[in-house]
Amino acid sequence: MDSPNQTDSLHPLEIQVLRALGSATTESLKDPELVRSTTLAPSQISMAVGWLLTKELVHLVSETTTTYVALTEVGTLFQQAASPPEWILQTVQAASGEGQTTTVKDLQATGKFQPSELSRAFGSLKKEGVISLGSGGSLQTTGQKSASVEALRSLLNQIHEGSQPLDSFSPVHQALLRQYSVKRGNTQEPFRIDDHTERAYALTPDGRNLLPHLREDAAQEISQLTPEHLKDGSWRNCSFRKYSIHLRPPRLAVGRRHAYREFLDTVKTKLTSMGFQEMRGELVETEFWDMDALFMPQFHPARAIHDVYFVKEPNHAKRIPEPFLSQVAEAHKNGGSTESKGWQYSYDPERAKRLVLRSQGTAVSARTLATNPPNPSKFFSIARCFRYDQVDATHATDFFQVEGIVLGSDINFRTLLGLLKLFATEMAQAKEIRFLPAYFPFTEPSVEMHVRHPKLGWMELGGAGLFRSEVTVPLGVTVPVIAWGLGLDRMAMVALGIQDIRDLFTSDLEAVRNMRRQF
Amino acid sequence: MPTISIFQEDFSQLVGQPASMADIEQWMPLVKGEVKDTVHDTGEVRVELQDTNRPDLWCVEGIARQIRSVLAGNLKTYPFFCTRGRAKRQIQVMQGMETVRPYVAACASLGYPMTQDGLAQCIQTQEKLANAFGRNRETVSIGLYRLSSIAFPVTYGLVKPDEIRFTPLGFDEKMTPHEVLTVHPKGLEYGGIVAHHERLPLLWDTNGQVLSFPPIINSRELGEVQIGDTELLVEVTGTDLSMVILALNIFASNLADRGASIEPIDIVYPYETAMGKTVKTPCDMSNTQQVSFHAIEQALGMPLGQKAIQSALASYGYQVKSTRQGISVKLPAFRNDFMHVMDVAEDVAITRGYDSFSPIMPQTFTVGTLSEQEQTSDRLRDLLVGFGFQEIFSNILASRQEFVERMRLTDTEHESLVEIDNIMSLTYACLRPSILPCLLRVEALSPRVFYPHLLFEVGEVARVDEEANVGSRTVLSLAAISAHPGANFSEIHSYLDLLMYYMACPYELEPVSHPSYLDGRVGQIRCQGLMVGYIGEFHPEVLEAWQIDMPTSGFEFEITTSKS
Repeated sequence: MDSPNQTDSLHPLEIQVLRALGSATTESLKDPELVRSTTLAPSQISMAVGWLLTKELVHLVSETTTTYVALTEVGTLFQQAASPPEWILQTVQAASGEGQTTTVKDLQATGKFQPSELSRAFGSLKKEGVISLGSGGSLQTTGQKSASVEALRSLLNQIHEGSQPLDSFSPVHQALLRQYSVKRGNTQEPFRIDDHTERAYALTPDGRNLLPHLREDAAQEISQLTPEHLKDGSWRNCSFRKYSIHLRPPRLAVGRRHAYREFLDTVKTKLTSMGFQEMRGELVETEFWDMDALFMPQFHPARAIHDVYFVKEPNHAKRIPEPFLSQVAEAHKNGGSTESKGWQYSYDPERAKRLVLRSQGTAVSARTLATNPPNPSKFFSIARCFRYDQVDATHATDFFQVEGIVLGSDINFRTLLGLLKLFATEMAQAKEIRFLPAYFPFTEPSVEMHVRHPKLGWMELGGAGLFRSEVTVPLGVTVPVIAWGLGLDRMAMVALGIQDIRDLFTSDLEAVRNMRRQF
Repeated sequence: MPTISIFQEDFSQLVGQPASMADIEQWMPLVKGEVKDTVHDTGEVRVELQDTNRPDLWCVEGIARQIRSVLAGNLKTYPFFCTRGRAKRQIQVMQGMETVRPYVAACASLGYPMTQDGLAQCIQTQEKLANAFGRNRETVSIGLYRLSSIAFPVTYGLVKPDEIRFTPLGFDEKMTPHEVLTVHPKGLEYGGIVAHHERLPLLWDTNGQVLSFPPIINSRELGEVQIGDTELLVEVTGTDLSMVILALNIFASNLADRGASIEPIDIVYPYETAMGKTVKTPCDMSNTQQVSFHAIEQALGMPLGQKAIQSALASYGYQVKSTRQGISVKLPAFRNDFMHVMDVAEDVAITRGYDSFSPIMPQTFTVGTLSEQEQTSDRLRDLLVGFGFQEIFSNILASRQEFVERMRLTDTEHESLVEIDNIMSLTYACLRPSILPCLLRVEALSPRVFYPHLLFEVGEVARVDEEANVGSRTVLSLAAISAHPGANFSEIHSYLDLLMYYMACPYELEPVSHPSYLDGRVGQIRCQGLMVGYIGEFHPEVLEAWQIDMPTSGFEFEITTSKS
């Protein structure tokens, strides 16, 4: 270790402690001894020792816990005046000296002590046989001396000089001290018994080696340059204490984006850079836009009460815009003008108005299709969605879906695969891709894309397909449309080092502050 | 999406060649299946089937049939779908069934001695079809019986709830249908489908023996199929004729694939059905469709040619013919999922393999943009991060207690929320009407986290609005709080003031009263005369309700853009 260099970075407090340990006659010093042999306060000592321990210039030799007894505020009062039994004795004796009698009532009337304190003191004096109860309730001393009152007096006087180790007292006195010490529920006691841990420190060999190099002028050092130093030029006469720059710096509370939101920010930046336009929707949707427009038949199992959240009040929308309602209804019933047979059931236009919490981001795409979008065009949304699921490590109450559409005369199955390939390289840096047949009620053909992520291995990145004519035609779109959705939560969780999906939206500020991208 | 168990050896026999685990994995795309799990000791493979329109694939026989067809280049036809003349056996439907459970379909299966594997698969198929396809037996339910003990004709009719007694499966004593509904576990589970009718559906034979009480339970005497039985009756009842027949077609094909010969049964109705008064089942309902191979080529983006398309479809099990207009296709009788030419196009792609289509990169130019709301919220987020605020990202479903009670809003104009009707737990019962409760939740859970706490969130909230079509509006909102020993109105006001300055949004604060905030330390934020939000020091009762020990002040306002 480079000793001289290290001495430069020592704090003046550290230097004082090192000197005290170096000049001590014993191998080690306890903290009270350090207080005595330096001019420092106990808190300064503990700060300096803490630094020196991390620098390994000082080491802990021993740690001893001693039980001390000290006076409480009540105890100081008793020491200066009298404890309740002492006071009773004095009062009764003084009264009888003047030929008068005292009763318990008289004592209470003085208001000097609480009735409970008095009765306890009176009880113990009577038990000791120091005091007796005469006729008419008059109190009389028996002439016997009270050993406990005398012991209490001597203890009060002794401990008044400073706290003392409990085991320096005789067992009888120790018992007495315990009897009169502050306990839970009774704070009106003269003594307090506390455990003190004393630590003894000694120099390490490195610390001892440093001793000859310690600066003499430590006192004139400055640690912080001030505006005054600069204004009057006095900095020229100062020497600047060198810092131990390898110590951990203090913490900061700073402003920062949420790490998961930042991840989604990069997704939306990627998508806009690929020419996608953002679309937005409403959290509360009609079943019409959430499902009917997507050609999910009204009897579809995923529309049941255990899959979707329904809104309580109002539970139906006022209206569904035409001509979309009629055209979608026709597509469901018999295909309408979509060249499809349709689902062949009687479509319920009332059911279409039923309000749900948006269960899939594709609802936003359906609404966009109904706005006469230009050909060609590309859209995306990062939409908050809701599913009726038991919340656990893999299911959140609400979550984000990244999805969108691509319209164009040139759209077909192969351009769909091309788009997915682009997503694979842009979103997951994947070079290997597998396309598998999939099923979605609103697309045909449908594809599931699996990619080999450089860090995560094979994973499902998303699903896509060509929107069925039963979806596009009733909404007024006649060109082919790709519908795509990406499952990015797993990628986000791994990127953020999270195992439980609920942690993406945690309310624990420490976790939010610590969350960061691992790659 | 149903998940089923198949067994490697049974599967190999049905495919007609030994199938390794690798083969099974490789064939899965043909049936939109995914292997979830394998048990090597028993050869059990758990397969998840994605296509909800292909119930014929939710069984080992169907999966094997689809693969066998692709491997062979065509599908062997099943003779029993097109028999003519009067069937040997009859089921007579009684008047009155049309309002209870109108349809029935049935066939006899002969010559296949039931094996343990076969029976297990039959029961699995029965369950998957009745539950996933038949909506928990409501539209379709299936029964299997020992044919040799049944005297035809069988009657499908109605009885009074306590008119007749039979021994249901799983019990030793005889019960009336009414007792089945009140005592038997299946009666309790599925009774709701028929219990409201005055008379209940029942199948009985000409000797008066009860076959079953559909869709609840079979009788024990006739409806307990045993290993080794070679003669079976398969029966499907339900509320949708084509679904009932499709389920029987699937079941009949499955038994035929295991070596049974299937004999159709005539169903004689007293009322008119879409297929007449006498319906021979199983029966082929699928129609021949004209499809344009150009449309298929265009959808797939590849000039495959008519021949290649025809041969792909034949491999996949279609009956294909070329016609003057293009090609005519017909689905096998166990499928009923043709709606549009694109369904056919997908089958071509699946047969040829998705990997045989080379991706084409999109060529068209489009301009990418973020919505105005997103751009505005990004600017606000950047500013607040620069001001030293930590961004929070919350779930937006929570409890009424958090949004109303803890905010001291009970019985005030701010009380109404968008609430969920079918809540799963009270913790997630409402959409948030504002973001501040989400930030206070963070503060409440983080008292030991290094201070100061400057927190913000930009996001969607749902505000009740009786004028709106859906009764509420989704609004973009910004909320920020400051929590530390010195947090007060003037500090949070400074942040708001600076934010509004940089957003070039002049604003005014109007002194108001708001239950969540301390009187005299709360203001309504107004922009261009419109009320957009509130700023203030939180009322100590609010902080107590959240069990927050730290002075906290905050603001929240609605983000409006010219387009919204």
